[in-house]
Amino acid sequence: MVPGSLRRLQSAWEVQTRVIHALVIRELSTRFGRENIGFLWIMVEPLLFASLVGLLWSLAKGPEEHGISVVAFVATGYIPLTLFRHSVQRSVLVFTTNSSLLYHRQIKIMDFILARFIIEMMGCMMAYLFIGLILIATGFMPVPADIGLFLAGWALYSLFCLSICLVLSPLSEISDVMEKFIPVTTYVMIPFSGAFNMSSWLTPTMREFLMLSPFVNGMEMMRKGIWGIKVTAYYDVWNPIICSAVLIGIGLPLCRRVRKTLAVE
Amino acid sequence: MIVCRDICKEYRHAGLRKQVLRNVNLTVQRGDRIALLGRNGAGKTTLIKLIGGVEMPTSGRIEHHMSISWPLGFAGGFQGSLTGYDNARFIARIYQREYAAIRDFVEDFTELGSQLRMPVKTYSSGMRARLAFALSLAIEFECYLIDEIILVGDQNFHRKCRVELFEKRADRTMILASHDTGTVRELCNRAVIIDQGQATAYDDVNFAVDSYSAL
Repeated sequence: MVPGSLRRLQSAWEVQTRVIHALVIRELSTRFGRENIGFLWIMVEPLLFASLVGLLWSLAKGPEEHGISVVAFVATGYIPLTLFRHSVQRSVLVFTTNSSLLYHRQIKIMDFILARFIIEMMGCMMAYLFIGLILIATGFMPVPADIGLFLAGWALYSLFCLSICLVLSPLSEISDVMEKFIPVTTYVMIPFSGAFNMSSWLTPTMREFLMLSPFVNGMEMMRKGIWGIKVTAYYDVWNPIICSAVLIGIGLPLCRRVRKTLAVE
Repeated sequence: MIVCRDICKEYRHAGLRKQVLRNVNLTVQRGDRIALLGRNGAGKTTLIKLIGGVEMPTSGRIEHHMSISWPLGFAGGFQGSLTGYDNARFIARIYQREYAAIRDFVEDFTELGSQLRMPVKTYSSGMRARLAFALSLAIEFECYLIDEIILVGDQNFHRKCRVELFEKRADRTMILASHDTGTVRELCNRAVIIDQGQATAYDDVNFAVDSYSAL
């Protein structure tokens, strides 16, 4: 019995990875085409955002703040924020727009969410790597002090973004109102993303409040991973893990419910 | 074998409710060629979508012990902005087939030539039908779900379908929704009439066609 179900699980896993792989390629070729730099465009937007906003901030605030380079600080804040904003925008009505693919029974609606999220994550990671190498080479950013901590922070931040998508995608199918609120919500969210300040720069009450945000916890880990002893970081790894688990627990049954009533043209 | 047990399907939109299928029971044996007969809006396409796993029944269960094609119809199954080749590549990937073999078959069956390099949204419904049939034949399903589309093609396409589907793959199971009573009489061995949400199965196709014509 056990080997049988294990084998089933293994073959289901193989089908799903194959489907997601195909969906990612399909999405890349429809969104970016094969002309000029093709799918490399996915990293252009986060790259431009991070570098131009960084430049703007360093003009306004001077080259350094709290002993670290403003350009590097803004870049490390903006790229994860782009991941959040893009993945949320992309998750709206993802089932309806892809519904013609549900003709193929091995494609599950979860694959749509995962495929789009993976694309956004790949784009942001490539942009991060690119800009990081440039900033390290030019001396604006140190060589990461603790790359493991940085990656753990990135993983938790991404996990939380994904779990938000898992809830938002089905909700956007249930209610049209949702979609209208998303741009303003992602904007209002910015102070709670930890993108533009370290918790240690804030007052203790403010800090305590912001530490409730899973984004801030992930962001602090990433920054500590890069700057090491140059910054003081406050974080709790359990906060993003628990928040993500709760959202996934809500999102998966919601997806199931939406799939049951989804009308496919 | 495909077994549909007590299937109900209803659609809700903006407070409106439409019950399309009510307690439909249907057993399809391996090798059956079943015609689905019914007026426009009777629920033929809905039943095909449910069997194909495209939509989920509101209640009831569908069990199957064979591979079933996606519903070959006017809509669905393709990404309009992708070319014919890209769609073939995508389908080869998700069905884990050799792309080169699928491509050769598609080129040969569809005779679309360089059109295969154009986005599918620029295709006519006849061209789409050719592509859909070519891909599903290349994948080799045990059961084919055909929704009307067999009627849209030209003579050449009909002949090819006849050879590839009804002669070379005569052992396959088939569920065919059609208004063309001639095709049904000729090709099917059983018929199901869908009327007012209920499905009634007939072993005598001619009798079924006659009672459908009287509806």
